[in-house]
Amino acid sequence: MHAERRGLPIALAALILGAGIAAARAEEPIKIGFTTEQTGAWSFFGASCVAGLKLALPQVNAAGKRPIDFVILDNQTQPAQAAAGSRNLDVQSKVLALSGPTSSDTSLAVYGYAEQNKVPFVVPVAAFPQLTKPGSRYTFRLEPDAAGWGYAIAKFVESRKPGAKLALIYSDYALMRAITAGLKYQAPKSGLKIETDIAFPQGANDATVQAAQVVAAAPDYVIVIGAGGFDMTITNQLLDLGIKTDQIIHPFGITTQVKNWGKRSAGSFYGTFFDSNLANLTPEGKKFVADFTAQNNRPPSYIENYCYVTAQIIRQVLDANPAAADDREKFRDAMSKLNTKESTSGIPIVFDKNGARKEYIFFMQIKDVDEKGYQASQVFYTEWDPEVIPVYELVK
Amino acid sequence: MSNAHTIILMSMLSSGLMLGVIFSLVASGVTIIYGSIWMPNAANGQFFLLGALLTWTMTVQFGLPPAAGALLVIGLSVAFSYLLEILLIRRFYDVPNRNISYFVLSLGLTQISAGLLSITYGVWSDQFQVPPLVRGVTFIGPFPLANTRLAAFAIAIVLLALLFALLRFHKYGRALRAVFQNREAAALRGVDVRAVYRLSFVLGNGVVFAGGILFAYAYSFDLSAAWTMAITAFAIMIIGGPGSVLGALVVGLVFGFTQAIVSTFASPTIAAFSYLGAMLIILLFKPSGLFAR
Amino acid sequence: MSVRKNLIPLGVFVALAYGLPLALAGNRYLAFVCGMTLINVLLACGMNLLYGYTGLMPLMFAGIAGISAYVSVRLSEAGLSFWLAMPLGALAASSLGVLLGLPSLRLKGFYFTLCSLVIQSVITLGFIYFSGFTNGDTGIAQIPLPSLPGGISLAGPPYELMLATFASLGIALLIALVGSSFGQRLVAIREDDGLAEALGIDVTRQKLGAFFIGSLFAGLGGAVYAPYLGFVSPRSFDVLVSLNIWLMVAFGGRGTIWGPVVGAALLTPVPFLLQDYYTIKDVVYGLLIIGVIVALPSGLAGALKLSPRPGASKVAMRARPEKAS
Repeated sequence: MHAERRGLPIALAALILGAGIAAARAEEPIKIGFTTEQTGAWSFFGASCVAGLKLALPQVNAAGKRPIDFVILDNQTQPAQAAAGSRNLDVQSKVLALSGPTSSDTSLAVYGYAEQNKVPFVVPVAAFPQLTKPGSRYTFRLEPDAAGWGYAIAKFVESRKPGAKLALIYSDYALMRAITAGLKYQAPKSGLKIETDIAFPQGANDATVQAAQVVAAAPDYVIVIGAGGFDMTITNQLLDLGIKTDQIIHPFGITTQVKNWGKRSAGSFYGTFFDSNLANLTPEGKKFVADFTAQNNRPPSYIENYCYVTAQIIRQVLDANPAAADDREKFRDAMSKLNTKESTSGIPIVFDKNGARKEYIFFMQIKDVDEKGYQASQVFYTEWDPEVIPVYELVK
Repeated sequence: MSNAHTIILMSMLSSGLMLGVIFSLVASGVTIIYGSIWMPNAANGQFFLLGALLTWTMTVQFGLPPAAGALLVIGLSVAFSYLLEILLIRRFYDVPNRNISYFVLSLGLTQISAGLLSITYGVWSDQFQVPPLVRGVTFIGPFPLANTRLAAFAIAIVLLALLFALLRFHKYGRALRAVFQNREAAALRGVDVRAVYRLSFVLGNGVVFAGGILFAYAYSFDLSAAWTMAITAFAIMIIGGPGSVLGALVVGLVFGFTQAIVSTFASPTIAAFSYLGAMLIILLFKPSGLFAR
Repeated sequence: MSVRKNLIPLGVFVALAYGLPLALAGNRYLAFVCGMTLINVLLACGMNLLYGYTGLMPLMFAGIAGISAYVSVRLSEAGLSFWLAMPLGALAASSLGVLLGLPSLRLKGFYFTLCSLVIQSVITLGFIYFSGFTNGDTGIAQIPLPSLPGGISLAGPPYELMLATFASLGIALLIALVGSSFGQRLVAIREDDGLAEALGIDVTRQKLGAFFIGSLFAGLGGAVYAPYLGFVSPRSFDVLVSLNIWLMVAFGGRGTIWGPVVGAALLTPVPFLLQDYYTIKDVVYGLLIIGVIVALPSGLAGALKLSPRPGASKVAMRARPEKAS
């Protein structure tokens, strides 16, 4: 009796100590490196991404789960800094995986580092096809690739007006080149004819003459892919010269763009992967839209959505595979087997052998724009496998 | 001439003139400052962009009417230029070979400005558009011209004319020319050299800001506008001749038109190469500029 | 300037250049910052030759480094050994640089600077436009690290040691050049090229020589930078990069051997170490530039009274009044 009573407190102490140690280890956060554009040319997109990410954190780091620490580092929209930042996160912070860039060139720089140093890399935004070129093992891209985007535009136009004549007018950046490459590949196969193809150098200000050339060609649709403010200028100048709003198709439309296109552009089309006006938002999607709008004074678009969803799928993978939390290879394997849906829109997330996702796009038509936001209706949806076109040959 | 061809011709004129006057304004501001205090202002692109961004703030964020907004921005620019002059610029008035020092100084200012803009405007939006000065569209023959661009163009022309008149006929202008030619002699003749310097700096910057304001009304823009404009302004200044507002005007218009004309038969990138090429040719064969004083 | 005076500092530099990467070999990130510093030291030497000793401020320096980088990367891809591709790239870049810069060498002072600014813009535009060769805006990713002719890979600390070798050789070359009569002629040109011409110096020829050698430095720097970072794009070689390198020279003290080396060593780590302070990084950098120009016009070396007195060249006339720098 006496021995039992003495043994009990010791056993209890050991139990408590053991539980304490286990708890301490479980509480050590899992680190995910997030190198993104917080300054430099793409600071808006990096900041939007971080805003979307932050909205996911309360749910992702809910009580009772081992917390995930997203270590955010600025890459200044410079590939050199992105590579250095990746190295910093890998070596100094010893992150489990990398994520974060929104620009094609910074993400390519991180991709090079990730593949070479065997660090899993989950790319939330950044559509450049070569991010999942054959042989990629550690990279997983959430956003459909830009050449596929071009393919989808051709499919969209084909569905509205078979045999249509197209005019292309765009800025000479990597993203635009990739989109137009996909479009130019698919157009003849879809029975479309590209009449005009105008590329502007970086830094161009005025498109009046080119707009006049487009008008002279009398196309059925004009595909407008300007960069930054110039996109606005091209659009305005086309509309000034008499192009109808429903002749204009923008491959992408984030909130700031749609608001700037304004009431004047009601009737124009734009592509997106997530929009506050989607026909089938899930309840969580609607909540995401409401919360984001309340916090940031504008409805979210696909950039914010992808960063939100990225945090969630990382959580999902870790919850389903606790061993993956401390092992990059296991994390990589678990991610490649992921089969889930975007919580905000219900679109499936499945990666192919190169880390490219089964791709999709929505096309919206602008109905109205005001100070608070905008209304648009969903007019088209399509899905495709990334390699339905020779995407890795079209753009290097 | 078919309608389509008329439209293309008119679009060339419209684009050339609109870009041309804005280039001329910014280049005039830069050349005044370079001509008077010998400061090549590499930050002119940032000031140009600030003019446009502040206009956006006034009209979109604060909801002010366009005219009031523009005047407020000019007022801010004057205060800002005064402050810069007192804090930094005047330290170098008596330094020989100060153009390099000023160039570096202006690079530092560019860096600071770019950094600040990146974490403010750069986070608020990726592109900016201000409400039009005047709504509606005017037709010149078959060619529709947005009224806001017409208005911006008219204001730019008036500003350039006023600037020209100021420099040619007003006593400040004469004082400026005297100082530019020979500062010691001007001082002997009773010109307050330092006051002329200060006024030149404020005036020059004000003109650059005005260029930015009008640009915002004629086009949409994003933060990348700063550096492109800076190089263009320097190119115009060099070709036109440092210190020559007439040179800035003429060459600015030519640049505006070169882009417009070359783009009708070649890709717009070739147009960009062509005016860089023109600048090289001038630098090599007549470095003092076409309209050198 | 005596070559002998510089031997001890050179020895110190070599010890540091080889020692630091080895000491930091365990931490690949800090070793990387070290490696980047060494590349910048090499580049700063070339810029110093042109700006510090010849008085030319070549803003197309980064463009020339870029041409070399792209050429050597493409040659390596085509199967050529890195050890051939690198000097070929540097030579190609220098030749192109001389060709582009040739007409502008007649220009003086600020006009040369502006001309070089235009040439840099043309080069950057060219990098984007000729995407068949450069892959345009997207850049070239996953550039492999070279191996030594024997087949030993240079991954890791060996590459940093290679960079240390280049940096040391670069400084040694600069010391030799500056100490030679060529160097003295350059200083004469910097001080007053009209006078130099009157004294019988073929100014254009000397400038051309300086330009070619300075461009070689830029070319070598570009060629070793590409595999180290693994990624190049037009933005890696734009005018802002030229300005950064120039700043290292101006900050450290132009016209001295060690000023720019110290400048490179101090300024290179700044953007890397300030990555966490992204909001104020650019502002700090800008304030630094302004601070240097207002308070330390002769750079750190000048502030520490290490800079040679202007006009101290043996060739310049003693009667000439001292010029402010």
